[in-house]
Amino acid sequence: MPRTTTLECSGCPPLRALTFDALGLIKVVEARDRQRGVPQVVERWGNSEASKCVTAVSMIDRNSNPLLAVARKNNQIEILSPVNGDIQATISDANDLDIRSEENNIVGLHLFAKQDLDLASRYCTLLSCTTKGNASIRSVEVADSSTGSSCIDSPKTWNVCSGGNILCSKVDGNEKFALFGGKGVEINIWDLNNFTKIWNSKSPPKNSLGIFTPTWFTSATFLMKDDHRKFVAGTNSHQVRLYDISAQRRPVLSFDFRETPIKALAEDIDGYSIYIGNGSGDMASVDIRTGKMLGCFSGKCSGSIRSIVRHPELPVVASSGLDNYLRLWDTKTRQLLSAVFLKQPIMHVLFDSNFIVKGAVLLPCKEQTQPEIMVNEEVEVSPLKRKKSSRSKEHILDGSERKKRSKQSKDRKKSEGNDEHLNIASRDKKSKSASKKRNKSSIPGL
Amino acid sequence: MGGKRKKSDGDDVEEAEEGSKKKTRTSAEKKEQLLPSMIKNKDKRSEVHAKLKRQKKLDKRAKAKARDAAAKRALDLGEEPPEKKVPRTIENTREFDETVCRPDDEELFAGNDADEFSSILNQQQTPKILITTCRFNSTRGPAFISELLSVIPNAHYYKRGTYDLKKIVEYAKNKHFTSVIVVHTNRREPDALLVIGIPNGPTAHFKLSKLVLRKDIKNHGTPTSHKPELVLNNFTTRLGHRVGRLIQSLFPQDPEHKGRRVVTFHNQRDFIFFRHHRYIFETKEVKKAESKSKKDKDGKSENVPEQKTIARLQECGPRFTLKLISLQHGTFDTKGGEYEWVHKPEMDTSRRRFFL
Repeated sequence: MPRTTTLECSGCPPLRALTFDALGLIKVVEARDRQRGVPQVVERWGNSEASKCVTAVSMIDRNSNPLLAVARKNNQIEILSPVNGDIQATISDANDLDIRSEENNIVGLHLFAKQDLDLASRYCTLLSCTTKGNASIRSVEVADSSTGSSCIDSPKTWNVCSGGNILCSKVDGNEKFALFGGKGVEINIWDLNNFTKIWNSKSPPKNSLGIFTPTWFTSATFLMKDDHRKFVAGTNSHQVRLYDISAQRRPVLSFDFRETPIKALAEDIDGYSIYIGNGSGDMASVDIRTGKMLGCFSGKCSGSIRSIVRHPELPVVASSGLDNYLRLWDTKTRQLLSAVFLKQPIMHVLFDSNFIVKGAVLLPCKEQTQPEIMVNEEVEVSPLKRKKSSRSKEHILDGSERKKRSKQSKDRKKSEGNDEHLNIASRDKKSKSASKKRNKSSIPGL
Repeated sequence: MGGKRKKSDGDDVEEAEEGSKKKTRTSAEKKEQLLPSMIKNKDKRSEVHAKLKRQKKLDKRAKAKARDAAAKRALDLGEEPPEKKVPRTIENTREFDETVCRPDDEELFAGNDADEFSSILNQQQTPKILITTCRFNSTRGPAFISELLSVIPNAHYYKRGTYDLKKIVEYAKNKHFTSVIVVHTNRREPDALLVIGIPNGPTAHFKLSKLVLRKDIKNHGTPTSHKPELVLNNFTTRLGHRVGRLIQSLFPQDPEHKGRRVVTFHNQRDFIFFRHHRYIFETKEVKKAESKSKKDKDGKSENVPEQKTIARLQECGPRFTLKLISLQHGTFDTKGGEYEWVHKPEMDTSRRRFFL
């Protein structure tokens, strides 16, 4: 009799994710509750058409004027706002070269976050790379309404590979270097300011039997945001390789993972662990300094994982793939937090980290929170987060403390509230504001 | 010993407590004491067990009698007979699956239009099947393949030789086939079926079992060459829907009803049962012994022969069951393939969970 496991999925902290599927639909999945939210699809943008299948995405995740670029199978690139899905710019026929007979889809896309100050928020630059190796950087005017826009200056195009197909392309955290790799294409690193290739990888030597596996990189990622020299690449023959530009051209460390191609790689924010997803739905996290596997994310994932993404702040990692599910996992315990059934195979997933739950809870002494906020606004980061913490404070110190409402008592309460808050925070790791507050009060260690 | 110890404990407890508690305690203890597995003596134990079973059987018979009597009484009185209880089956208690296709799901239709089978299912392409085997010989393989050739119209058999499966897929693409079926053999018996969609369609790997050839079926019929009708039962979930469409794309979409041939793929508990029948509609006289209308309550029951049309089936062709092992996204590629669905043992979390 098979082992029967009934592990309840604990909910996830408030978050917002955007998924891009094979029919070109963009679905917004949000978890609203503060503690054990069940994520649900709240919005759906786009019309479903097979030619609009999403092939590459990139997002600038910032508070003001966030932008999302989506490349589709019909060689169209759309720039949308991730808040409401309005199309702000379209580049149709992004391929200047007229190769229609073979598939020449856009495989890599990157929106540059840095902008020229004088051009402010009107223009954005993006880098796109197609399967045949045509990389181009172009600037697009971004208007508020969706007017068809043309490129401002002629796009700078160059060819990344002479033969073979590009399957993976990434831009590092400083946006100065980009890597490209694929089937029959060794990983190249290009300097984006000068458009020169600064480094090229070399395949490992033939193994003891004299067998030489052809180069076939299926996914790659830079390890740290500020260091372009180290990156990890996954191959079609289920091998994960760590490369260091400053050391050598051959991989520094390589290990095998299961039996199907490594389809997705994502780096963790600590800079030394990575998440691997392969073609049969297995996901694991590995410490790349030693090559040791930290653990597998076992769950009911039965389809190939196409995209893994780690939330920039919360300890949540999302994986999505061909089995039509978006799964959210806890990074520390590797437990499934929740799974959302989206009806089409999902190509990419992205987190929107500027999602703050404002809280609709009404408290008995709500009017007293207002002056508190005005007092403490200059102290805390954002008034919204302050509201949350003050509200939970109210919860704790209710009743008896209601009498004292002077400023000093408020300050005193705030310090008391801090301690209580920390106690709660240690129990409840999932509260975003609590973690922020914890950081603020700089308690050493945890 | 355990039983004896419990007895003494029970006595102590009995003395300690009073009232209703005592009663329930003693009754519970009594029940415990009567458990046959607590008796160490085998003779005694088997006696007690046999007595229990006899008692249970009598209870069951009495219940059934009472049920029938109640139903009959209700009928005689002209009331509604008491509701028949529905037995609990595994299909009834199947775990709720959110991937079940709903009839109003427009994304499902959009997905259908966009998938690999839509051109065949919209009758823009006629299916052309290539059947081949694995490299090894098998005893029943050739017979099975010849029967498959008679079941699926427009199917062609090519010997395997020593070609790579990837090369075979390429050749099939060049010759405009729409599907490739590979009958895989193990220990001289066909035991797996690989259905590959061309040009870049999904690859389904089925496990084949319980194969019964036409000559082994009693009173079998010989199928004609009309295009058969297709019956696909119970493919409810998204994955099941996709597999159903894959099977549908093997057969022509315009059946000839005058051929009276039907091919059935029935899915139950993730097993797909394949049957191939010839049917004929006949009218049969059915005598109604008891009429349930109130009019005839007082009158005698009349023997009114009623005409009813039934379909008589004659089985022809092979009979086998399939179970989906994996569904791969592109064409057959063991090393570089990515799977849309692959069965993993950690997915078997409950006996009430099925995927198709």
